[in-house]
Amino acid sequence: MFETATEFEPDPVIEAYKKGIDRTLLRENLKLTVEERLKNLEALQEFAEELQKHLHKKDGHKLS
Amino acid sequence: MATNFREVIRALVDSGAEFIIIGGVAARAHGSARFTEDLDVVYRRSKENIDRIIQALKPYQPYLRGAPPNLPFEFDARTIQHGLNFTFTTSLGPLDLLGEVTGGGTYEDLLSHCVTYDFFGEDCLCLDLPTLIRVKRAAGRPKDFEAIAELEALVEEKTTGNDPTTSN
Repeated sequence: MFETATEFEPDPVIEAYKKGIDRTLLRENLKLTVEERLKNLEALQEFAEELQKHLHKKDGHKLS
Repeated sequence: MATNFREVIRALVDSGAEFIIIGGVAARAHGSARFTEDLDVVYRRSKENIDRIIQALKPYQPYLRGAPPNLPFEFDARTIQHGLNFTFTTSLGPLDLLGEVTGGGTYEDLLSHCVTYDFFGEDCLCLDLPTLIRVKRAAGRPKDFEAIAELEALVEEKTTGNDPTTSN
């Protein structure tokens, strides 16, 4: 068992990375239900797989 | 190959397995915009639960990810009992089956740090946002820095903004 702090001691490295975070995307995601967030992940997966297939096909044509 | 989250979660839930979703999928459920390809779960290491996990996942031929092919690996209760944390490939995609996580401990330790969310129609335990940050921080992997920054930004957005799905 342990207690999790809800506020974390700022880590300078993490704070530096935080400047690059697109908070508008987070705000849009927070408007969605959990189910919708996960459905979006599935849609992204499908897109990534299609893209990979397309790129492999393209590379295959280049090699032949 | 990306994990078929829906099918893996369904198989685990249908078998009655006790597990907690952590990692990128948990982060996504909390509102992360980052892409993830694999599923990480912490499982209860009781004999009964290990049997349920075996029953749930065996049809999907789990094998040690990155290991040479044709090793005499058996996905059975003895193997799981003798190990702790496993990174598998399965016919449904990559799956990390963890008995313990750095900074978080075992299933039992994490149980009071979970929220129940609907994952593809199944009610599942999901590590809460503060604890997700805690375990990622404890892992100390440079590849996680950006993910931690995003999770902390999410906490800030939730405390200053309005997330209708959770009280975290």
